[in-house]
Amino acid sequence: MSRLGRVAAAAGRGVLRLMPTARREWAEAVWAEAYEVPAGWPRLAWRAGGLGLVAKEEQMARRMGIAFLFAAVAGAAVWGAWPGSPVSHGAAVQGGIIITVLLLAGLPLLTRWAMGPPDSRPARWLRAGLYVAILAVMPAQAAIGMFIGTVPRGGIDRHTFDVFQGPGVPGSSSGGPDWGGEIGLLLLTACYVALILALTARRAPVAPATLAIGAGAGLVLGVVMYAIAPLGLNVKYPYRPWLDGSAAEAVGVLAWVLLFGAPLMAGAVAGRRCHVPDDPGKASAARAWQGSAAGLVSGGAGALLVTVFGSGSVALMLKSAWVQDWLYHGQHLTASAVYGRELFASQDAGGYIVLLVGLPIIGLIMGLIGTACASPAHRLPDSGGPGRPPGPGGPEPVPGPPDGGCQADVKELAGAGSG
Amino acid sequence: MASRAEFSPQTLSVLAALCGQPSAWQHGYALARETGLKSGTLYPILIRLADRGLVEACWQEEPAPGRPRRHLYRLTADGLATATTALTEAALAGAEPATAKVRPGASPGRGRGVAAPAVP
Repeated sequence: MSRLGRVAAAAGRGVLRLMPTARREWAEAVWAEAYEVPAGWPRLAWRAGGLGLVAKEEQMARRMGIAFLFAAVAGAAVWGAWPGSPVSHGAAVQGGIIITVLLLAGLPLLTRWAMGPPDSRPARWLRAGLYVAILAVMPAQAAIGMFIGTVPRGGIDRHTFDVFQGPGVPGSSSGGPDWGGEIGLLLLTACYVALILALTARRAPVAPATLAIGAGAGLVLGVVMYAIAPLGLNVKYPYRPWLDGSAAEAVGVLAWVLLFGAPLMAGAVAGRRCHVPDDPGKASAARAWQGSAAGLVSGGAGALLVTVFGSGSVALMLKSAWVQDWLYHGQHLTASAVYGRELFASQDAGGYIVLLVGLPIIGLIMGLIGTACASPAHRLPDSGGPGRPPGPGGPEPVPGPPDGGCQADVKELAGAGSG
Repeated sequence: MASRAEFSPQTLSVLAALCGQPSAWQHGYALARETGLKSGTLYPILIRLADRGLVEACWQEEPAPGRPRRHLYRLTADGLATATTALTEAALAGAEPATAKVRPGASPGRGRGVAAPAVP
Protein backbone atom coordinates (compact mmCIF):
# COMPACT_ATOMS: atom_id res chain seq x y z
CA MET A 1 0.00 0.00 0.00
CA SER A 2 1.34 3.42 -0.88
CA ARG A 3 2.10 5.97 1.79
CA LEU A 4 -0.86 8.06 0.63
CA GLY A 5 -3.07 4.99 0.86
CA ARG A 6 -1.86 4.20 4.36
CA VAL A 7 -2.47 7.78 5.49
CA ALA A 8 -5.96 7.72 3.95
CA ALA A 9 -6.71 4.37 5.58
CA ALA A 10 -5.55 5.58 9.01
CA ALA A 11 -7.51 8.84 8.68
CA GLY A 12 -10.59 6.94 7.64
CA ARG A 13 -10.39 4.52 10.56
CA GLY A 14 -10.12 7.52 12.93
CA VAL A 15 -13.15 9.20 11.38
CA LEU A 16 -15.18 5.98 11.56
CA ARG A 17 -14.86 5.97 15.33
CA LEU A 18 -16.60 9.37 15.45
CA MET A 19 -19.65 8.07 13.57
CA PRO A 20 -22.97 7.51 15.32
CA THR A 21 -23.36 3.80 16.07
CA ALA A 22 -26.31 3.41 13.73
CA ARG A 23 -24.28 4.50 10.73
CA ARG A 24 -20.84 3.25 11.70
CA GLU A 25 -21.51 -0.20 10.26
CA TRP A 26 -22.17 1.26 6.83
CA ALA A 27 -19.05 3.38 6.87
CA GLU A 28 -17.06 0.32 7.94
CA ALA A 29 -18.63 -1.58 5.05
CA VAL A 30 -17.38 0.99 2.55
CA TRP A 31 -13.97 0.86 4.16
CA ALA A 32 -13.76 -2.94 4.13
CA GLU A 33 -14.88 -3.07 0.51
CA ALA A 34 -12.04 -0.74 -0.49
CA TYR A 35 -9.64 -3.68 -0.29
CA GLU A 36 -11.43 -5.22 -3.29
CA VAL A 37 -11.06 -2.09 -5.37
CA PRO A 38 -7.90 -1.87 -7.52
CA ALA A 39 -5.14 -0.04 -5.68
CA GLY A 40 -4.32 3.55 -6.56
CA TRP A 41 -6.78 6.22 -7.56
CA PRO A 42 -9.81 3.92 -7.86
CA ARG A 43 -9.34 2.79 -4.25
CA LEU A 44 -8.72 6.35 -3.11
CA ALA A 45 -11.88 7.46 -4.92
CA TRP A 46 -13.82 4.63 -3.28
CA ARG A 47 -12.63 5.70 0.15
CA ALA A 48 -13.36 9.34 -0.66
CA GLY A 49 -16.92 8.27 -1.41
CA GLY A 50 -17.02 6.58 2.00
CA LEU A 51 -15.80 9.74 3.69
CA GLY A 52 -18.48 11.65 1.78
CA LEU A 53 -21.03 9.25 3.20
CA VAL A 54 -19.72 9.99 6.67
CA ALA A 55 -19.70 13.73 6.08
CA LYS A 56 -23.33 13.67 4.88
CA GLU A 57 -24.41 12.63 8.33
CA GLU A 58 -25.75 15.84 9.81
CA GLN A 59 -24.17 15.27 13.19
CA MET A 60 -20.84 14.36 11.66
CA ALA A 61 -20.85 17.35 9.35
CA ARG A 62 -21.36 19.64 12.33
CA ARG A 63 -18.65 17.94 14.35
CA MET A 64 -16.18 18.11 11.50
CA GLY A 65 -17.08 21.73 10.80
CA ILE A 66 -16.48 22.64 14.43
CA ALA A 67 -13.18 20.74 14.43
CA PHE A 68 -11.99 22.55 11.30
CA LEU A 69 -13.12 25.93 12.65
CA PHE A 70 -11.34 25.30 15.93
CA ALA A 71 -8.18 24.23 14.09
CA ALA A 72 -8.25 27.39 11.97
CA VAL A 73 -8.88 29.79 14.85
CA ALA A 74 -6.43 28.05 17.17
CA GLY A 75 -3.83 28.06 14.40
CA ALA A 76 -4.29 31.80 13.91
CA ALA A 77 -4.08 32.40 17.68
CA VAL A 78 -0.92 30.32 18.00
CA TRP A 79 0.59 32.10 15.02
CA GLY A 80 -0.15 35.45 16.65
CA ALA A 81 1.06 34.44 20.10
CA TRP A 82 4.17 32.45 19.21
CA PRO A 83 7.31 34.36 20.27
CA GLY A 84 8.86 35.51 17.00
CA SER A 85 12.33 36.51 18.03
CA PRO A 86 14.42 34.55 20.53
CA VAL A 87 13.50 35.79 23.97
CA SER A 88 14.61 34.48 27.30
CA HIS A 89 11.06 33.62 28.41
CA GLY A 90 10.20 32.08 25.03
CA ALA A 91 10.30 28.47 26.24
CA ALA A 92 7.71 29.15 28.94
CA VAL A 93 5.48 31.05 26.51
CA GLN A 94 5.72 28.30 23.90
CA GLY A 95 4.97 25.64 26.49
CA GLY A 96 1.98 27.63 27.71
CA ILE A 97 0.60 28.04 24.18
CA ILE A 98 0.95 24.36 23.32
CA ILE A 99 -0.64 23.16 26.55
CA THR A 100 -3.48 25.67 26.24
CA VAL A 101 -4.36 24.41 22.75
CA LEU A 102 -4.12 20.80 23.93
CA LEU A 103 -6.44 21.62 26.83
CA LEU A 104 -8.93 23.27 24.51
CA ALA A 105 -8.85 20.31 22.15
CA GLY A 106 -8.79 17.51 24.71
CA LEU A 107 -11.10 18.60 27.53
CA PRO A 108 -14.27 18.64 25.37
CA LEU A 109 -13.64 15.00 24.42
CA LEU A 110 -13.19 14.08 28.07
CA THR A 111 -16.34 16.00 29.08
CA ARG A 112 -18.34 14.45 26.23
CA TRP A 113 -17.33 11.00 27.42
CA ALA A 114 -18.10 11.72 31.07
CA MET A 115 -21.10 14.07 30.91
CA GLY A 116 -22.36 14.12 27.35
CA PRO A 117 -22.29 16.79 24.66
CA PRO A 118 -23.95 20.22 24.91
CA ASP A 119 -27.58 19.93 23.87
CA SER A 120 -28.90 23.46 23.89
CA ARG A 121 -28.16 26.65 22.04
CA PRO A 122 -27.08 28.64 25.14
CA ALA A 123 -24.68 25.82 26.05
CA ARG A 124 -23.10 25.80 22.62
CA TRP A 125 -22.86 29.60 22.49
CA LEU A 126 -21.30 29.72 25.93
CA ARG A 127 -18.68 27.17 24.93
CA ALA A 128 -17.97 29.01 21.70
CA GLY A 129 -17.64 32.30 23.56
CA LEU A 130 -15.23 30.77 26.07
CA TYR A 131 -13.05 29.36 23.31
CA VAL A 132 -13.05 32.60 21.34
CA ALA A 133 -12.13 34.50 24.51
CA ILE A 134 -9.23 32.23 25.42
CA LEU A 135 -7.89 32.15 21.87
CA ALA A 136 -8.23 35.94 21.57
CA VAL A 137 -6.43 36.59 24.84
CA MET A 138 -3.47 34.40 23.83
CA PRO A 139 -1.93 36.71 21.20
CA ALA A 140 -2.87 39.83 23.17
CA GLN A 141 -1.10 38.54 26.27
CA ALA A 142 1.89 37.51 24.16
CA ALA A 143 2.18 41.01 22.73
CA ILE A 144 1.93 42.53 26.20
CA GLY A 145 4.47 40.06 27.60
CA MET A 146 6.87 40.81 24.77
CA PHE A 147 6.57 44.56 25.32
CA ILE A 148 6.92 44.43 29.06
CA GLY A 149 9.91 42.10 28.81
CA THR A 150 11.86 44.18 26.32
CA VAL A 151 14.34 46.61 27.88
CA PRO A 152 14.63 49.94 26.04
CA ARG A 153 18.09 50.74 24.68
CA GLY A 154 18.45 54.04 26.50
CA GLY A 155 17.16 57.50 27.24
CA ILE A 156 14.18 58.38 29.38
CA ASP A 157 12.40 55.17 28.38
CA ARG A 158 15.22 53.14 29.88
CA HIS A 159 14.97 55.18 33.07
CA THR A 160 11.20 54.64 33.21
CA PHE A 161 11.70 50.93 32.63
CA ASP A 162 14.36 50.64 35.34
CA VAL A 163 12.14 52.43 37.85
CA PHE A 164 9.13 50.21 37.29
CA GLN A 165 10.62 46.94 36.09
CA GLY A 166 14.11 46.89 37.53
CA PRO A 167 17.38 47.08 35.59
CA GLY A 168 17.88 44.84 32.57
CA VAL A 169 20.17 44.40 29.60
CA PRO A 170 19.35 47.10 27.00
CA GLY A 171 17.72 45.87 23.82
CA SER A 172 17.04 42.41 25.17
CA SER A 173 14.36 40.65 27.07
CA SER A 174 14.40 41.06 30.79
CA GLY A 175 14.17 38.23 33.28
CA GLY A 176 14.10 34.49 32.61
CA PRO A 177 11.32 32.06 31.82
CA ASP A 178 8.37 32.68 34.12
CA TRP A 179 7.33 29.07 34.60
CA GLY A 180 5.38 29.87 37.76
CA GLY A 181 3.30 32.50 36.00
CA GLU A 182 2.67 30.24 33.01
CA ILE A 183 1.63 27.33 35.20
CA GLY A 184 -0.71 29.59 37.16
CA LEU A 185 -2.29 30.86 33.94
CA LEU A 186 -2.63 27.31 32.64
CA LEU A 187 -4.35 26.21 35.82
CA LEU A 188 -6.73 29.15 35.60
CA THR A 189 -7.45 28.39 31.94
CA ALA A 190 -8.00 24.71 32.73
CA CYS A 191 -10.42 25.61 35.54
CA TYR A 192 -12.44 27.90 33.26
CA VAL A 193 -12.59 25.41 30.41
CA ALA A 194 -13.43 22.43 32.65
CA LEU A 195 -16.08 24.36 34.57
CA ILE A 196 -17.86 25.76 31.53
CA LEU A 197 -17.68 22.43 29.68
CA ALA A 198 -19.12 20.64 32.70
CA LEU A 199 -21.90 23.19 33.25
CA THR A 200 -22.92 23.06 29.60
CA ALA A 201 -22.85 19.27 29.24
CA ARG A 202 -26.07 17.33 28.75
CA ARG A 203 -25.94 15.55 32.09
CA ALA A 204 -25.20 18.72 34.10
CA PRO A 205 -28.12 19.74 36.30
CA VAL A 206 -28.18 23.21 34.78
CA ALA A 207 -31.03 24.43 32.62
CA PRO A 208 -30.31 26.18 29.31
CA ALA A 209 -32.22 29.21 30.59
CA THR A 210 -29.88 29.38 33.59
CA LEU A 211 -26.88 29.52 31.27
CA ALA A 212 -28.52 32.24 29.20
CA ILE A 213 -29.41 34.27 32.30
CA GLY A 214 -25.90 33.94 33.72
CA ALA A 215 -24.24 34.82 30.43
CA GLY A 216 -26.50 37.85 29.94
CA ALA A 217 -25.74 39.18 33.41
CA GLY A 218 -22.05 38.52 32.80
CA LEU A 219 -22.07 40.49 29.55
CA VAL A 220 -23.57 43.54 31.29
CA LEU A 221 -21.09 43.22 34.14
CA GLY A 222 -18.16 42.78 31.75
CA VAL A 223 -19.03 45.80 29.62
CA VAL A 224 -19.30 48.08 32.66
CA MET A 225 -16.11 46.69 34.18
CA TYR A 226 -14.34 47.26 30.88
CA ALA A 227 -15.58 50.86 30.81
CA ILE A 228 -13.83 51.54 34.11
CA ALA A 229 -10.74 49.39 33.52
CA PRO A 230 -10.04 49.45 29.78
CA LEU A 231 -6.27 49.47 30.09
CA GLY A 232 -5.61 47.04 32.88
CA LEU A 233 -6.79 46.93 36.46
CA ASN A 234 -5.16 49.31 38.90
CA VAL A 235 -7.24 50.11 41.94
CA LYS A 236 -4.75 52.65 43.27
CA TYR A 237 -4.36 54.60 40.03
CA PRO A 238 -7.40 53.80 37.93
CA TYR A 239 -7.24 55.08 34.39
CA ARG A 240 -10.34 55.68 32.31
CA PRO A 241 -9.31 57.64 29.24
CA TRP A 242 -12.81 58.01 27.84
CA LEU A 243 -14.61 59.04 31.03
CA ASP A 244 -14.39 62.45 32.63
CA GLY A 245 -14.53 62.88 36.41
CA SER A 246 -18.27 62.77 37.11
CA ALA A 247 -19.03 60.09 34.54
CA ALA A 248 -16.16 57.97 35.85
CA GLU A 249 -17.59 58.17 39.36
CA ALA A 250 -21.07 57.21 38.20
CA VAL A 251 -19.80 54.29 36.13
CA GLY A 252 -17.56 53.27 39.03
CA VAL A 253 -20.57 53.14 41.37
CA LEU A 254 -22.50 51.18 38.74
CA ALA A 255 -19.61 48.72 38.44
CA TRP A 256 -19.59 48.13 42.19
CA VAL A 257 -23.34 47.63 42.20
CA LEU A 258 -23.18 45.21 39.28
CA LEU A 259 -20.21 43.35 40.74
CA PHE A 260 -22.51 42.00 43.43
CA GLY A 261 -25.91 42.78 41.95
CA ALA A 262 -25.56 41.07 38.56
CA PRO A 263 -24.85 37.57 39.91
CA LEU A 264 -27.36 38.15 42.72
CA MET A 265 -30.10 38.93 40.23
CA ALA A 266 -29.01 36.13 37.91
CA GLY A 267 -29.16 33.64 40.78
CA ALA A 268 -32.54 34.93 41.91
CA VAL A 269 -34.08 34.80 38.44
CA ALA A 270 -32.62 31.37 37.64
CA GLY A 271 -33.78 30.04 41.01
CA ARG A 272 -37.27 31.45 40.58
CA ARG A 273 -37.64 29.82 37.18
CA CYS A 274 -36.96 26.42 38.64
CA HIS A 275 -40.01 24.28 39.43
CA VAL A 276 -39.96 20.79 40.81
CA PRO A 277 -43.48 19.75 41.79
CA ASP A 278 -44.21 17.47 44.73
CA ASP A 279 -40.76 17.37 46.25
CA PRO A 280 -39.62 20.36 48.33
CA GLY A 281 -36.20 18.81 49.01
CA LYS A 282 -35.44 18.27 45.35
CA ALA A 283 -36.84 21.68 44.49
CA SER A 284 -34.57 23.46 46.92
CA ALA A 285 -31.48 21.57 45.70
CA ALA A 286 -32.39 22.23 42.09
CA ARG A 287 -32.89 25.93 42.78
CA ALA A 288 -29.52 26.08 44.53
CA TRP A 289 -27.93 24.48 41.48
CA GLN A 290 -29.54 26.93 39.09
CA GLY A 291 -28.73 29.95 41.27
CA SER A 292 -25.11 29.05 41.88
CA ALA A 293 -24.58 28.14 38.23
CA ALA A 294 -26.13 31.40 37.04
CA GLY A 295 -23.95 33.40 39.45
CA LEU A 296 -20.83 31.49 38.52
CA VAL A 297 -21.46 31.90 34.80
CA SER A 298 -22.21 35.60 35.19
CA GLY A 299 -18.98 36.19 37.13
CA GLY A 300 -16.91 34.10 34.74
CA ALA A 301 -18.43 35.64 31.62
CA GLY A 302 -17.94 39.15 32.99
CA ALA A 303 -14.31 38.47 33.90
CA LEU A 304 -13.60 36.92 30.51
CA LEU A 305 -15.22 39.79 28.66
CA VAL A 306 -13.27 42.50 30.47
CA THR A 307 -10.04 40.48 30.10
CA VAL A 308 -10.51 39.99 26.36
CA PHE A 309 -11.45 43.61 25.69
CA GLY A 310 -8.87 45.01 28.12
CA SER A 311 -5.97 42.84 26.97
CA GLY A 312 -6.96 43.52 23.37
CA SER A 313 -7.02 47.26 23.99
CA VAL A 314 -3.58 47.23 25.60
CA ALA A 315 -2.13 45.04 22.83
CA LEU A 316 -3.63 47.28 20.16
CA MET A 317 -2.31 50.33 22.00
CA LEU A 318 1.19 48.87 21.75
CA LYS A 319 0.87 47.94 18.09
CA SER A 320 -1.24 50.63 16.46
CA ALA A 321 -0.77 54.38 16.47
CA TRP A 322 -4.47 55.03 15.76
CA VAL A 323 -5.45 53.43 19.05
CA GLN A 324 -3.23 55.84 20.92
CA ASP A 325 -4.61 58.75 18.89
CA TRP A 326 -8.08 57.64 19.82
CA LEU A 327 -7.28 57.07 23.49
CA TYR A 328 -5.43 60.36 23.91
CA HIS A 329 -7.50 62.38 21.53
CA GLY A 330 -6.48 66.04 21.60
CA GLN A 331 -3.47 65.44 23.82
CA HIS A 332 0.04 66.05 22.59
CA LEU A 333 2.09 63.40 24.36
CA THR A 334 5.82 63.11 24.02
CA ALA A 335 7.30 59.78 22.97
CA SER A 336 8.48 59.09 26.49
CA ALA A 337 5.04 59.87 27.91
CA VAL A 338 3.51 57.44 25.44
CA TYR A 339 6.04 54.81 26.46
CA GLY A 340 5.29 55.37 30.12
CA ARG A 341 1.56 54.93 29.56
CA GLU A 342 2.16 51.81 27.50
CA LEU A 343 4.34 50.39 30.25
CA PHE A 344 1.76 51.13 32.96
CA ALA A 345 -1.05 49.65 30.87
CA SER A 346 1.02 46.54 30.18
CA GLN A 347 1.72 46.11 33.87
CA ASP A 348 -1.88 46.76 34.84
CA ALA A 349 -3.11 44.18 32.31
CA GLY A 350 -1.83 41.57 34.75
CA GLY A 351 -4.54 42.80 37.15
CA TYR A 352 -7.20 41.12 35.04
CA ILE A 353 -6.11 37.86 36.64
CA VAL A 354 -7.55 39.19 39.89
CA LEU A 355 -10.89 39.58 38.12
CA LEU A 356 -10.63 36.16 36.49
CA VAL A 357 -10.19 34.57 39.90
CA GLY A 358 -12.39 36.84 41.98
CA LEU A 359 -15.50 37.43 39.85
CA PRO A 360 -16.57 33.77 39.55
CA ILE A 361 -16.14 33.30 43.30
CA ILE A 362 -18.18 36.43 44.03
CA GLY A 363 -20.67 35.26 41.40
CA LEU A 364 -21.04 31.84 42.97
CA ILE A 365 -21.66 33.26 46.44
CA MET A 366 -24.02 36.00 45.26
CA GLY A 367 -25.90 33.57 43.04
CA LEU A 368 -26.54 31.30 46.00
CA ILE A 369 -27.65 34.25 48.11
CA GLY A 370 -29.92 35.40 45.30
CA THR A 371 -31.52 31.98 45.09
CA ALA A 372 -32.01 31.84 48.83
CA CYS A 373 -33.60 35.29 48.89
CA ALA A 374 -35.95 34.72 45.99
CA SER A 375 -39.00 32.60 46.57
CA PRO A 376 -39.95 30.24 43.74
CA ALA A 377 -42.46 31.54 41.24
CA HIS A 378 -45.39 29.49 42.49
CA ARG A 379 -48.67 30.11 40.83
CA LEU A 380 -51.65 28.67 42.65
CA PRO A 381 -54.59 29.33 40.38
CA ASP A 382 -57.04 27.87 42.84
CA SER A 383 -56.13 30.00 45.80
CA GLY A 384 -57.99 32.96 44.37
CA GLY A 385 -56.07 35.52 46.32
CA PRO A 386 -55.35 36.19 49.97
CA GLY A 387 -57.84 34.83 52.44
CA ARG A 388 -59.66 32.71 49.94
CA PRO A 389 -59.56 28.96 50.59
CA PRO A 390 -58.52 26.57 47.90
CA GLY A 391 -61.17 24.93 45.78
CA PRO A 392 -62.61 21.50 46.42
CA GLY A 393 -59.74 19.67 44.78
CA GLY A 394 -57.07 21.53 46.68
CA PRO A 395 -54.29 23.49 44.98
CA GLU A 396 -53.58 22.56 41.41
CA PRO A 397 -50.14 21.32 40.48
CA VAL A 398 -47.66 24.09 39.96
CA PRO A 399 -47.32 24.68 36.24
CA GLY A 400 -43.87 24.40 34.72
CA PRO A 401 -41.96 27.24 33.17
CA PRO A 402 -42.90 28.20 29.61
CA ASP A 403 -40.13 26.24 27.93
CA GLY A 404 -39.95 23.52 30.54
CA GLY A 405 -36.19 23.95 30.55
CA CYS A 406 -35.32 23.71 34.22
CA GLN A 407 -38.00 21.19 35.02
CA ALA A 408 -36.97 18.98 32.14
CA ASP A 409 -33.37 19.12 33.21
CA VAL A 410 -34.17 18.36 36.82
CA LYS A 411 -36.24 15.36 35.75
CA GLU A 412 -33.40 14.21 33.53
CA LEU A 413 -30.98 14.65 36.41
CA ALA A 414 -33.21 12.61 38.68
CA GLY A 415 -33.43 9.94 35.98
CA ALA A 416 -29.68 9.93 35.44
CA GLY A 417 -29.06 9.73 39.15
CA SER A 418 -31.38 6.80 39.60
CA GLY A 419 -30.04 5.07 36.48
CA MET B 1 -46.84 -1.36 -2.85
CA ALA B 2 -44.13 1.02 -3.97
CA SER B 3 -44.45 2.70 -7.29
CA ARG B 4 -41.65 3.42 -9.66
CA ALA B 5 -41.96 7.16 -9.01
CA GLU B 6 -40.56 6.55 -5.54
CA PHE B 7 -37.22 5.45 -6.91
CA SER B 8 -34.57 7.43 -8.71
CA PRO B 9 -32.91 5.92 -11.80
CA GLN B 10 -29.86 5.15 -9.65
CA THR B 11 -31.97 3.32 -7.09
CA LEU B 12 -33.70 1.40 -9.86
CA SER B 13 -30.33 0.33 -11.19
CA VAL B 14 -29.35 -0.95 -7.74
CA LEU B 15 -32.65 -2.80 -7.44
CA ALA B 16 -32.13 -4.28 -10.89
CA ALA B 17 -28.64 -5.43 -9.96
CA LEU B 18 -29.92 -7.03 -6.77
CA CYS B 19 -32.78 -8.66 -8.68
CA GLY B 20 -30.27 -10.33 -10.96
CA GLN B 21 -29.53 -12.90 -8.26
CA PRO B 22 -32.21 -12.32 -5.67
CA SER B 23 -31.22 -15.12 -3.35
CA ALA B 24 -27.47 -14.49 -3.47
CA TRP B 25 -25.61 -12.12 -1.16
CA GLN B 26 -23.77 -9.46 -3.12
CA HIS B 27 -20.84 -7.23 -2.26
CA GLY B 28 -20.83 -3.46 -2.47
CA TYR B 29 -18.03 -3.37 -5.02
CA ALA B 30 -19.79 -5.93 -7.23
CA LEU B 31 -22.92 -3.79 -7.12
CA ALA B 32 -20.88 -0.70 -7.90
CA ARG B 33 -19.39 -2.39 -10.95
CA GLU B 34 -22.78 -3.68 -11.96
CA THR B 35 -24.48 -0.32 -11.73
CA GLY B 36 -21.57 1.97 -12.52
CA LEU B 37 -22.29 3.96 -9.38
CA LYS B 38 -19.61 5.46 -7.15
CA SER B 39 -19.38 4.42 -3.53
CA GLY B 40 -20.66 7.82 -2.39
CA THR B 41 -23.87 7.25 -4.39
CA LEU B 42 -24.29 3.51 -3.98
CA TYR B 43 -24.08 3.28 -0.21
CA PRO B 44 -26.62 6.00 0.61
CA ILE B 45 -29.02 4.13 -1.69
CA LEU B 46 -28.32 0.85 0.10
CA ILE B 47 -28.79 2.57 3.47
CA ARG B 48 -32.15 3.98 2.43
CA LEU B 49 -33.29 0.62 1.04
CA ALA B 50 -32.17 -1.13 4.23
CA ASP B 51 -33.93 1.47 6.39
CA ARG B 52 -37.13 0.73 4.47
CA GLY B 53 -36.69 -2.99 4.93
CA LEU B 54 -36.23 -3.67 1.21
CA VAL B 55 -32.62 -4.79 1.54
CA GLU B 56 -31.04 -6.91 4.23
CA ALA B 57 -27.37 -6.76 5.08
CA CYS B 58 -24.96 -8.97 6.94
CA TRP B 59 -21.25 -9.35 7.49
CA GLN B 60 -19.22 -12.04 5.72
CA GLU B 61 -18.57 -14.92 8.12
CA GLU B 62 -15.25 -16.12 6.74
CA PRO B 63 -13.22 -13.28 5.26
CA ALA B 64 -10.30 -13.87 2.95
CA PRO B 65 -7.00 -14.12 4.83
CA GLY B 66 -5.59 -10.68 5.64
CA ARG B 67 -8.77 -8.93 4.55
CA PRO B 68 -11.50 -7.38 6.67
CA ARG B 69 -14.96 -8.87 6.67
CA ARG B 70 -17.14 -7.63 3.82
CA HIS B 71 -20.67 -6.38 4.04
CA LEU B 72 -23.18 -8.35 1.99
CA TYR B 73 -26.57 -7.34 0.64
CA ARG B 74 -29.64 -8.94 -0.86
CA LEU B 75 -33.29 -8.09 -1.33
CA THR B 76 -35.81 -9.07 1.30
CA ALA B 77 -39.09 -10.66 0.22
CA ASP B 78 -40.73 -7.23 0.42
CA GLY B 79 -37.79 -5.76 -1.43
CA LEU B 80 -38.05 -8.28 -4.22
CA ALA B 81 -41.77 -7.64 -4.65
CA THR B 82 -41.25 -3.87 -4.58
CA ALA B 83 -38.32 -4.05 -6.96
CA THR B 84 -40.20 -6.28 -9.39
CA THR B 85 -43.14 -3.88 -9.44
CA ALA B 86 -40.96 -0.80 -9.76
CA LEU B 87 -38.85 -2.27 -12.53
CA THR B 88 -41.92 -3.50 -14.41
CA GLU B 89 -43.49 -0.05 -14.16
CA ALA B 90 -40.25 1.45 -15.36
CA ALA B 91 -40.20 -0.91 -18.31
CA LEU B 92 -43.80 -0.06 -19.19
CA ALA B 93 -43.04 3.64 -18.93
CA GLY B 94 -40.11 3.20 -21.25
CA ALA B 95 -37.61 4.49 -18.76
CA GLU B 96 -34.36 2.81 -18.07
CA PRO B 97 -32.37 2.67 -14.88
CA ALA B 98 -29.35 4.93 -14.66
CA THR B 99 -27.03 2.06 -15.49
CA ALA B 100 -27.83 2.19 -19.16
CA LYS B 101 -26.67 5.78 -19.31
CA VAL B 102 -23.69 5.75 -17.04
CA ARG B 103 -22.17 2.41 -17.96
CA PRO B 104 -22.46 1.64 -21.63
CA GLY B 105 -20.19 -1.36 -21.29
CA ALA B 106 -22.31 -3.17 -18.76
CA SER B 107 -23.12 -6.76 -19.57
CA PRO B 108 -26.55 -7.22 -21.12
CA GLY B 109 -29.29 -8.41 -18.90
CA ARG B 110 -27.57 -7.52 -15.65
CA GLY B 111 -28.73 -4.23 -14.21
CA ARG B 112 -29.23 -2.80 -17.63
CA GLY B 113 -32.60 -3.74 -18.83
CA VAL B 114 -35.77 -3.31 -16.91
CA ALA B 115 -37.18 -6.76 -17.22
CA ALA B 116 -38.22 -8.06 -13.84
CA PRO B 117 -36.45 -11.26 -12.92
CA ALA B 118 -38.29 -14.39 -12.06
CA VAL B 119 -38.97 -14.79 -8.39
CA PRO B 120 -37.34 -17.99 -7.21
